Formats: sequence, structure tokens, C-alpha cells
Amino acid sequence: MIVCAALVVPPDSNVYVPQELAHRKVGLDYGNGTAYAGLQMLEGAVPREAISTCAAVIHPGERYAAMLRGEFEATVLQEPWITVAEKAGCRLVSTTFFHGTWVGGADLDPRLYAAFLRGVTQAVHRINADKRRYMRYFKEGWAAADPAVQALTPDDFNLGRIQLREPTPIPEDEARWAWDWMASWGVLNGSFDVTAQINRKVEREAHELAFSGSG
Amino acid sequence: MKMTIEPVSAFSSLDVLVAMDEGLFRAEGLDLTMASRESRDTRSTTEGTLTRPVTNQGRLQERGEATMFQG
Repeated sequence: MIVCAALVVPPDSNVYVPQELAHRKVGLDYGNGTAYAGLQMLEGAVPREAISTCAAVIHPGERYAAMLRGEFEATVLQEPWITVAEKAGCRLVSTTFFHGTWVGGADLDPRLYAAFLRGVTQAVHRINADKRRYMRYFKEGWAAADPAVQALTPDDFNLGRIQLREPTPIPEDEARWAWDWMASWGVLNGSFDVTAQINRKVEREAHELAFSGSG
Repeated sequence: MKMTIEPVSAFSSLDVLVAMDEGLFRAEGLDLTMASRESRDTRSTTEGTLTRPVTNQGRLQERGEATMFQG
């Protein structure tokens, strides 16, 4: 699935474009995709030395609440809290998308992964055929106890932010770019080694089993 | 075939949740279950820094309680 991440400011903020977040505190859930998406959105707008971030909680609803309390001036949210924030008058000053990537152990059985890929692929087709029907899933899990999320209706969601595609092998170029970028921030050390990061044998076998009709 | 994965949310794994609910994995011969995190598995991201982040991803897999997690 493709994850949507939005850089959000409170309704009374005087920030309208991401450049105006220079030297202003942005709360990020370090170590998670949304945090890195946030850094990339900021880096596309201001010099790196003008980026100011702080650690924020992983729960998007609690992170959103912390922003509204003034603990930081902006944060990065995922759905359904992007929709909640917009309904509350918050502004999205930047939006981006990134891959959610599955990570398996070295002993992952390609037959298991192939069955997983086939199931996911069929789900992608079903959801894309009628996205709004499935918006109720965004009200479950973490969101189940959040009244603002529970007040949403399926029609509230911007379906352009709900993007699904069939699973594909990990593109090596994208993996290398991501590694090099994270290393440039000091999050990772060393050089990218595709053989250490992606088990092409398992990946290839699983995709062949899943999609060649022989699985 | 059985497989356990770490917990997921709709924002990143709507496809997996739908496939589980609508029997799409079962139809492929896969009995997929989602592990649940205990409090000992959860540390706050606020304990980390940008260069030394705290993440809960992969913790169950490290202990052999899940085969895959979403990063």
C-alpha cells in the first residue's frame, strides 16, 4: 500500500507554505516512515540547517493533539487524522506518499510470501473498485477510541489520498536512494549493499509463484 | 500454511486488513494471523532522537513471534 503523509499546521498558524516552517519546531515520530516523509517535505522547502524537529509520539491522534496544545508548530499525520485535521480547520502545507514495505526474516518461505502477495493483490483490486466502501477500516484499531475519527463518515475522506497498488519487487534504485538519504542524516551508517538489504532469491521465487500461475 | 505478522493499521495496510476479513488469504491456503503487542513490546518514540530513534517495528519478529512486519 502507498502511505499518504501530510505536513499539518493548526488553524491559527501563520504558516501557509512549508518554507515558513524554517526554524520552527516540527514534531516527528522518529524512526517511522511518517517522520522521514516529514523530513523530506521540509528538506524540499528549506535548507537543512533551517529544519527544526523534536520527538513526538507515534500515535497520530495523540501527536495531532500535542500540536493543537502548542507543543510544536507542525506535525506529520496519516489518515484518518489528516481528514480529522482538515475538518477542524488545520491546513496541509505539504503532502507526500511513500511505500509501505514488508520486511521478512532470512528464513521466510517463498510459498508463504507468495500466498500473502496473492491475497494482498486481490484485496487491492477489491478496494480500488470501491474505495469508499472500505473507509470504515480507518475508524478501527488506534482510531477506535478517538471521537473525532468516529465522527467521520466515508464521504469525508479524500480518496485521492487512499492509494493502493499491486505489490512489486523492491526497486533497487529507490532502496539505494532511501539508504543514502538516511545515511546523510546520520540515521544509518555505511554504504548500501543490496545483497544485505534485499533477499532477491526469496523475493523472486515468491513473485514467480504468486503471479506465474504455478503457485 | 500458517503465518503471523506484526500488527498493522489501515493507513499502511488496508489491503492486508481487507484480505484477512474477506478470506482472501484463506482462499490462497494461508492462515494469516496478526500478533498483538504487549506493553513490554512498546516504547515511546519520544524516548528516541532523530539519529537514534526508538521503534517498535520488528520487535516481535526478532523474538520469533512474527514472520513479517511492515517497515
